[in-house]
Amino acid sequence: MMLAVAGCLLLVMISGALVAFTRRPARQVLMISVHGLFLSMLFLLLQAPDVAYSEIAVGTALVPVMFLTVLAAIRGGGRRNLPR
Amino acid sequence: MLLRLLPWLAAAWLMAVGIYGMVTSRHYVHLIGCLSVVQSGTYVLLLAIGFVWHSGPPIFYDHPPGTPAVDPVMQALVLTDVVVGAAVSALLLALALQLHKRRNTLDPQELEPIP
Amino acid sequence: MKYSLVLRYALCILALIVLAPAAVLVALHMPAFGEQLPAYGATVNAHVPYMRQATNVVTAIIFDVRGVDTLGEEFIFVAAITGLAVLLRGGRGEDASRKPIHTDGRWLPARSEAVALLIRWMLPATVAFSIYVMAHGQLTPGGGFQAGAMLASALLLLFLGDGYRSWRQVTPPTVMHVLEALGAVGCVGVGLLPLALGAGFLENVLPQGQPKSLTGGGLIPLFNVAVGMAITGGFANALVEFLEETREPEAEGEQ
Repeated sequence: MMLAVAGCLLLVMISGALVAFTRRPARQVLMISVHGLFLSMLFLLLQAPDVAYSEIAVGTALVPVMFLTVLAAIRGGGRRNLPR
Repeated sequence: MLLRLLPWLAAAWLMAVGIYGMVTSRHYVHLIGCLSVVQSGTYVLLLAIGFVWHSGPPIFYDHPPGTPAVDPVMQALVLTDVVVGAAVSALLLALALQLHKRRNTLDPQELEPIP
Repeated sequence: MKYSLVLRYALCILALIVLAPAAVLVALHMPAFGEQLPAYGATVNAHVPYMRQATNVVTAIIFDVRGVDTLGEEFIFVAAITGLAVLLRGGRGEDASRKPIHTDGRWLPARSEAVALLIRWMLPATVAFSIYVMAHGQLTPGGGFQAGAMLASALLLLFLGDGYRSWRQVTPPTVMHVLEALGAVGCVGVGLLPLALGAGFLENVLPQGQPKSLTGGGLIPLFNVAVGMAITGGFANALVEFLEETREPEAEGEQ
């Protein structure tokens, strides 16, 4: 149990760092989704099923889709600005 | 032992990494993603404060109230925070979209503040 | 003034290095992880299940013990979605178009039939599950916030599986506006109901009912449904606004 919580905390730290270090927004969206998944696993291990429900629905499905639609709207329209 | 400190260090690490990503960002949509990482650091901190070893969730459907359970008040705080944080991220994305339409770039380095 | 990129990096790393010992010091002074339950939480766990006949103590806290906080959070949500709609509609106008926006240099494959079939199976199951989660909010893990997010992602599944046109037919924006507004008004109405009965704002005065029943908890199921409607309507509105942005603007003189 202690090992599971410690392992999940380390996974959350690593995925959070990867979200910040992934510079291209289209790739960062998938990292946000993975980070949300690890967060909801951590919340489940910390005995918080309600919070895990919210985090799965919001952080894995809704927020990445909003990011993707904004990226699609930015990219279309003929003018593009590539990220670094 | 390290496990005594790990959740607090994890929360501090997430906030630090998120702020570093925000300051050195070259695309506003990337910046909004880093903001969500900072928010997740606060969730980890709040839930770790209310956690107790060898306890179950604060749901007393199967066992009577009185069995050891973790703190429900912290979970209540985080639950509404998750959903409302997503709405605020959506508002920021709309701002970024409008900015792209006006100025045709989303690079913080290129955009000067209005003098 | 405009900062050069190297200066930004240097300042940020310097600030983080200076603040790191402070973070470690704070971590050393925090209470030990998992050793002691905070006093407020212990009191709530001991008393609220008997006072409110609700077995999900987290939902009882959100909608009853700290109900005014939830009202505030609900209106933060409504304000954020309203701001989003004002920003995007102000720049775009009120029309709706059908053709997707022109993206140069990208080949769009047709939607695969396996995806459409799978989503047609999953969509009713998701909707039924989210209504179950909303109704059993005070019994098992669940509640209005979770169910609203799940229902909004079910609407998203519809867009992924059947395309933009059928999505617009099933989710007309008027219905979504009305849903969100009814939810927000319902939250305030649920708060004003006890005032009409002679008690304080948001005080739980309805009959409590049996434990482990769907109508237990007095005001909690009503508040639950109101918040669920508002969250669903809000997220659906946000998705409608964002997806409208990816459509081709109508040319002049076209009807």
